Amino acid sequence: MGRMKFLCDAERCIECNGCVTACKNEHEVPWGVNRRRVVTMNDGVPGERSISVACMHCSDAPCMAVCPTDCFYKTEDGVVLHDKDKCIGCGYCFFACPFGAPQFPNGPAAFGARGKMDKCTFCAGGPEETGSAAEYEKYGSNRLAQGKLPLCAEMCSTKALIAGDADVVANIFRERVLRRGGGAEVWGWDAAYGGGERKQERKQERKREGQS
Amino acid sequence: MYAFAKKFGWAEQFAKNIKVEKDAQGWDEPSIEDTLREINRGTWTIGYTGQSPERLKLHMKNMHTFDVKTLKAVGGPCDGEYFGLPWPCYGTPEMKHPGTPNLYDTSKHVMDGGGNFRANFGVEKDGVSLLAGEGSASKGADLQMGYPEFDHVLLKKLGWWDELTEAEKAAAEGKNWKTDPSGGIIRVAMVNHGCHPFGNAKARAVVWNFPDPVPQHREPIYSPRPDLVAKYPTHDDKMKFWRLPTLYKSMQEKVKDISKDYPLVMTSGRLVEYEGGGEETRSNPWLAELQQEMFAEVNPKDANDAGFRNGEYIWVESPTKARLKVRAQVTQRVAPGTVFLPFHFSGWWQGEDMLKYYPEGAAPVVRGEAVNTATTYGYDSVTMMQETKTTLCRVSKA
Repeated sequence: MGRMKFLCDAERCIECNGCVTACKNEHEVPWGVNRRRVVTMNDGVPGERSISVACMHCSDAPCMAVCPTDCFYKTEDGVVLHDKDKCIGCGYCFFACPFGAPQFPNGPAAFGARGKMDKCTFCAGGPEETGSAAEYEKYGSNRLAQGKLPLCAEMCSTKALIAGDADVVANIFRERVLRRGGGAEVWGWDAAYGGGERKQERKQERKREGQS
Repeated sequence: MYAFAKKFGWAEQFAKNIKVEKDAQGWDEPSIEDTLREINRGTWTIGYTGQSPERLKLHMKNMHTFDVKTLKAVGGPCDGEYFGLPWPCYGTPEMKHPGTPNLYDTSKHVMDGGGNFRANFGVEKDGVSLLAGEGSASKGADLQMGYPEFDHVLLKKLGWWDELTEAEKAAAEGKNWKTDPSGGIIRVAMVNHGCHPFGNAKARAVVWNFPDPVPQHREPIYSPRPDLVAKYPTHDDKMKFWRLPTLYKSMQEKVKDISKDYPLVMTSGRLVEYEGGGEETRSNPWLAELQQEMFAEVNPKDANDAGFRNGEYIWVESPTKARLKVRAQVTQRVAPGTVFLPFHFSGWWQGEDMLKYYPEGAAPVVRGEAVNTATTYGYDSVTMMQETKTTLCRVSKA
């Protein structure tokens, strides 16, 4: 039994929105509903970072705790899903979620008029029969049941967004951090193209040029 | 394409060497293999002649025999070849050139993907040889000095002419390596003597046939710096440039003080979610949703001086008196004095949405001002490409 997780490596994300588009395409998500989005911090200044955010499929999910109709459930892979037939569009989950994952087709309308909540399913569908038209209609495609990972992560061009079993994802990230030779706060030219040796070489080249 | 040729009455010539068969939908479909062979036959100069359909299929079938780092096959039926026969792959397919993993690599034999720099500008200029120096040729070449490109005369002078077959001789007589349809000149030069058919010469840094043989700084016609216009003026006007009268200096002289009224540099560029003019990508709702409005990036200093805030509508005006109504994005991404506009929008004209003029269902999902409404006069001095990248502008609150 796995424990499914997303991780976005902010050192790699280039804000291309490929993940957002992949999600829209795969699940036919309507205009204005964003199961995934790319958030940019310090936009336009040195040190700018972007990170792709969707439902984090929390171990102890606040949305599950506050839902008055108890529409949420967790799969054996640790994916947080919900039942749209039970959802009354109250918006409590939206207030509880620290990531802004729950989306409402009618926007911030009055209670009950927001429409059924929609959010990232980790490409794992919903309570309807797996692979059925009803499941696709309400929750989008069920890639996990086909042995595939979420399309957003599979399509990520820089492999910033990774999805899968928490242990595997954590190992990939740990290896990256080790190779970068510092914490996740390392960024810039040297982190991307190598500091250390290459930098020393360049320094020596310049020195030689200066002497000649 | 074939249907087009048929409609215009030249399908027979178009598919002279290409088999045409019905596809699953009943369309006349030219054979893809024959089409590639046709390309192979006509691309001697650029080295797209060796990649026959049979060789490419063999590579696909034996993908596992190629080393993933060097891309070279180790043993097997493609031994020594590079995967996919990377361009350039010279000569006939039968000559079995392995493809070129890196251009101008003198550490390898030409039949192992090596090479040297091309003799493309003659052999001498102003009494100075343009050919490469002694010992500069690719590994194992019989000619280790610089040499011109191969033709029938050079082959005869070197005494290599008789290495051609009789059929090749007939085809190569009076020809050079690019025009010899037998590929014989290429074969003799490469296989028998390790020489590059295009010769071995130096790169030229002085391009004597350009208006500036070495790149020089010249201020643009619409310059923000009149002092630099005086110091680095543009070219003289040309009466006939690609047949057309084209203004340079007289235009620059006329507008040299225009930066008093239009003090900001206006530049344009792309967004990752849109392509080209954006007509197709803005018609795709998934992409259109990502950037729904045309905008201008303005530095906080310029925005504060002009008196507008982030997210407000502003007018961007250029010296043509064109006016673009766009959203302000106030950001340090641009330096003070520079305004950036994406070039993927169209459908607005000087403040007005042109939606009503689109045929039913043809309007893109999102529309905005086209940046080229504002760009100004100017043409590249070699290619005559128009200046649609940058000009001057001013900004004000709309």
